Amino acid sequence: MKKTTGERVRVGVFVVVSMSLFVACIYFIGQRRQLFASTFRVSGIFNDIGGLQVGNSVRFSGINVGIVSNIDQITDSTVRVEMSINSHTQKYIKKNATAIIGTDGLMGNKLVLVVPGSPNEKVIADNDTLATTRPVSMDEILIKVKETSENAAGITKDLSVIVHNIRMGKGTIGKLFIDSAFAKNLDATLTNIKQGAGGFKQNMDAASHNVFLRGFLKKKKKTEKGN
Amino acid sequence: MSIEKTITSSTEQNIRSRLIGFFSDVTDLTRFTGRFFKEAIRPSYEFSEVVRQSYLIGYKSFPLVAITGFIIGLVLTIQTRPTLAEFGAESWLPAMVSVSIIREIGPMITALIFAGKVGSGIGAEIASMKVSEQIDAMEVSGMNPFKYIVVTRIMAATLMLPLLVFVADAISMYGSYIGANLKGDVSFRLFFNLVFNTVAFSDVFPAVIKTFFFGFAVGLIGCYKGYTANRGTESVGEAANSAVVIGSLLIFLLDMIAVQFTSIFFP
Repeated sequence: MKKTTGERVRVGVFVVVSMSLFVACIYFIGQRRQLFASTFRVSGIFNDIGGLQVGNSVRFSGINVGIVSNIDQITDSTVRVEMSINSHTQKYIKKNATAIIGTDGLMGNKLVLVVPGSPNEKVIADNDTLATTRPVSMDEILIKVKETSENAAGITKDLSVIVHNIRMGKGTIGKLFIDSAFAKNLDATLTNIKQGAGGFKQNMDAASHNVFLRGFLKKKKKTEKGN
Repeated sequence: MSIEKTITSSTEQNIRSRLIGFFSDVTDLTRFTGRFFKEAIRPSYEFSEVVRQSYLIGYKSFPLVAITGFIIGLVLTIQTRPTLAEFGAESWLPAMVSVSIIREIGPMITALIFAGKVGSGIGAEIASMKVSEQIDAMEVSGMNPFKYIVVTRIMAATLMLPLLVFVADAISMYGSYIGANLKGDVSFRLFFNLVFNTVAFSDVFPAVIKTFFFGFAVGLIGCYKGYTANRGTESVGEAANSAVVIGSLLIFLLDMIAVQFTSIFFP
């Protein structure tokens, strides 16, 4: 009899503990799915939801505040996404807030991002419709990346030709880098110019002491002082 | 030529007798299952025996299931980490391990351990009762041995396996938490949040529902093999052995069917 009672108690404890674990698991999952929280509903109309599914998160200021509760195709090019959002967040979401479909990380699940509106605007009400912004899809990003990489490839190719020409001594820069005679000529030319400029300066100094030019130079100095 | 003919005909006979044996076994098992439901519904009910069997089948299997669950969680985490680390996705470790354990590994491993321990035990126990003519004695004394022996054990197995799976899953998660902290630093709260942010009802409910079927299959096969054992003493071992083999095979078959149903109802 004692043994039977002991067995019964042990079975009872085992059942209670394991059922509690199950119930706790259900509770914690439900809590994250806003099952036991007070919520309000808003919706947004999108042209393309990019694989968003019922149950995906709704994120506001980086916090998961709700879930996507329903997705309806309303016309051939528009989809209504209904969101169930925690009531505690309602006071922070304004009428002019916008919804955008994003991704959790680079490879994560799709989610709806609610971008805050202006602070002076009225608070959003139950069953309101949020304005939506068309998200930049991965395909569009890839197309842009492709265009950019093609341009970069073209630029690299041109640069390669230029560098090749320079190395072969073609063109002015090429001659400058490779042809030592050209460089010597250029150096000599620069020396000549420098000497010429020095001579020219001496001539000009001499001219300033010339009787014929003295009057003209005085007049010029006066004009400069007046300014 | 005649030797070849003899070999061919003996092979044919062998295949034919095996096929006949298989199909007659299927018929007997179906009849046995039908009788279980009939006897389970019809009063009187052997509640105290169900509780006693629940103790023997469920409670006594707990230590084995707990150790297995802990090791599975720990090992799975340690083994998965390098692959995730290659992608820089180590933060996904708790989520990935928890979904694997709750959806598949927890129920399957627990059911296979259960089939090994409980299925063989039931098969051997009932077969030895048959060999020692205890079942006949019960019939003679006016008791319904099917109700007392078979129905109680199948019901206990069906009800206890899901409970064992809940516990095994929880212990596996704890093992996984320890595994995650062997080479990293994850707080319990973060681990807990990462797990429950990922696990959905669609992971839990199909896994729970299929464990009832696993438990039923293990109990049913164990009882069937024991109840239909021959009179010889060697039949006890045969009953225990075939209960484990067929029970384990049925678990895999049921799991395959469950996956199909899950993908239909929880796409």
